[in-house]
Amino acid sequence: MTEELKQSPSEEVLLSIRGLKKSFGSHEVLKGIDLDIREGEKIAVIGPSGCGKSTFLRCINCMEDPTAGSIFFEGVDLADMKVDINVHRQKIGMVFQQFNLFNNLTVLRNITLAPVSIAQKANRKRKVRNFFRSFLNLFRKEKKPLLPVRKSADIRAEAEKRAFELLERIGLSDKAEVYPSTLSGGQKQRIAIVRALAMDPDVILFDEPTSALDPEMVGEVLDLMKKLAEDGMTMVIVTHEMGFAREVATRVLFMDDGQIAEENMPEAFFTRPQSARLQDFLSKVL
Amino acid sequence: MQRIWDLFYQQFITYGAYREVLEGLLATVEIAVFGLLIGVVIGTLIAMVKVMPKYKRLPRVLSGICTVYVGFFRGTPMVVQLLIGYFVLLPALKIAADAVTVAIVVFGLNSGAYVSEIMRSGIQSVDPGQLEAGRALGLTFWKSMFSIVIPQSVKNILPTLGNEFIVLIKETSVTSFIAVTDLTKAFRAIGDANYEYIIPYLMLAAVYLILVMLITLGIRIMERRLKRSDRRA
Ligand SMILES: Nc1ncnc2c1ncn2[C@@H]1O[C@H](COP(=O)(O)OP(=O)(O)OP(=O)(O)O)[C@@H](O)[C@H]1O
Ligand SMILES: [Mg+2]
Repeated sequence: MTEELKQSPSEEVLLSIRGLKKSFGSHEVLKGIDLDIREGEKIAVIGPSGCGKSTFLRCINCMEDPTAGSIFFEGVDLADMKVDINVHRQKIGMVFQQFNLFNNLTVLRNITLAPVSIAQKANRKRKVRNFFRSFLNLFRKEKKPLLPVRKSADIRAEAEKRAFELLERIGLSDKAEVYPSTLSGGQKQRIAIVRALAMDPDVILFDEPTSALDPEMVGEVLDLMKKLAEDGMTMVIVTHEMGFAREVATRVLFMDDGQIAEENMPEAFFTRPQSARLQDFLSKVL
Repeated sequence: MQRIWDLFYQQFITYGAYREVLEGLLATVEIAVFGLLIGVVIGTLIAMVKVMPKYKRLPRVLSGICTVYVGFFRGTPMVVQLLIGYFVLLPALKIAADAVTVAIVVFGLNSGAYVSEIMRSGIQSVDPGQLEAGRALGLTFWKSMFSIVIPQSVKNILPTLGNEFIVLIKETSVTSFIAVTDLTKAFRAIGDANYEYIIPYLMLAAVYLILVMLITLGIRIMERRLKRSDRRA
């Protein structure tokens, strides 16, 4: 067996960020970021307000288009404007500070909207191709087989089954039919996380997931994130929860002025900060 | 007074002018309703093009076209648009269409320009995080707009959209320029018969007023419904 194949899957690089820069007008927010994220890693990103943490996270799935640099994900450079970003975003979950549950949809529909609509779109494409195939087959000696198509109702039923499993897992299956406006912040955020999970993402990006929560609700969200971490989900987490970062992260990054100023294993990061900037920052937040 | 009332009655019932009035009422409502429907479709599309991200060439070209479109329909009077449609484009393109159809199309195109502005402000009133969450899940811009943003903007734009409907109802009074028998024309004909205009024109005003009040009421009921679904647990 070759060396490569012996490597455990957790060694595989999932996201490879190279020379990432982002400017808003003449204001350069990200000044060249290089980072490899391996499968199963939990990366915590901390740093002072305005240093570009959110911008960095949002560049990873191209919610903001990078000004320069590359983001390799599953062998494709997402920063390349020619790639169909929607396809890759399905595999990159994102959880927002403000939850952003869809206000006009029930909890269940919040979770199933994307999986159903994406599966149905793929289904429609197969139907169109089948149509041409069966037409061309009339003239072919060797008939090409038709692609499998599924019933719309089946797609929906499957997505709903999965949604209920996920809701069950966070103990909110009784909320499936309610609208987000009736939920507490903690419930909203847990459902937002589950909504991301429904797409079976390879990585989830969290942008200060607990910053908008009342203190008594922070715990339930962090607990869910810990469970995800234990299940082996790859996570990038921008957070001000230093205790959580220290406990859950496999690596902690300190962002300062649009760059990764320091990175280390959590223990060393918090107990033996190297740069003066990080020492200063930690002394303020700890 | 008795005399002019008798004259009106004679014209309205005995000579059967009520038929024209009903026809006119139908035309007025038809033009305004279908005009608004077309306007909402066109306006929604224009509004979405306007708020689309603009890195690629296509959205920019579309946006340019929409700007010209809105500029034309907002910058010229509806009567002129009707006249151009009916007396210039119709013969030039050799289309066989009656005046009401032309009026519906022109009203739709015209109202599309106004509705686009209404829709745009409605879309912009929805939290951008909603669109972002949709896009982050891998939904396309259009899918996110249709499933998430537009439904939420409806609540905010309903009163303004109602106003647009009222404007259209009243504006139908100019369609007699292209020989549509609308409410105004029907009542004017009654007056013309005896050169007695007091009753026909007061009644005309009353009919418009009733129509507008009905619409206002309808909108209020719809708004209340939407508010209720907001609180639904
Ligand atoms: N869309 C935008 N247009 C212009 N400037 C922006 C935009 N988004 C962010 N910025 C600027 O980029 C800088 C970094 O913002 P960012 O939100 O990434 O910081 P952050 O580290 O997430 O801060 P916080 O801890 O407050 O969330 C800030 O100076 C901000 O003003
Ligand atoms: Mg931020």
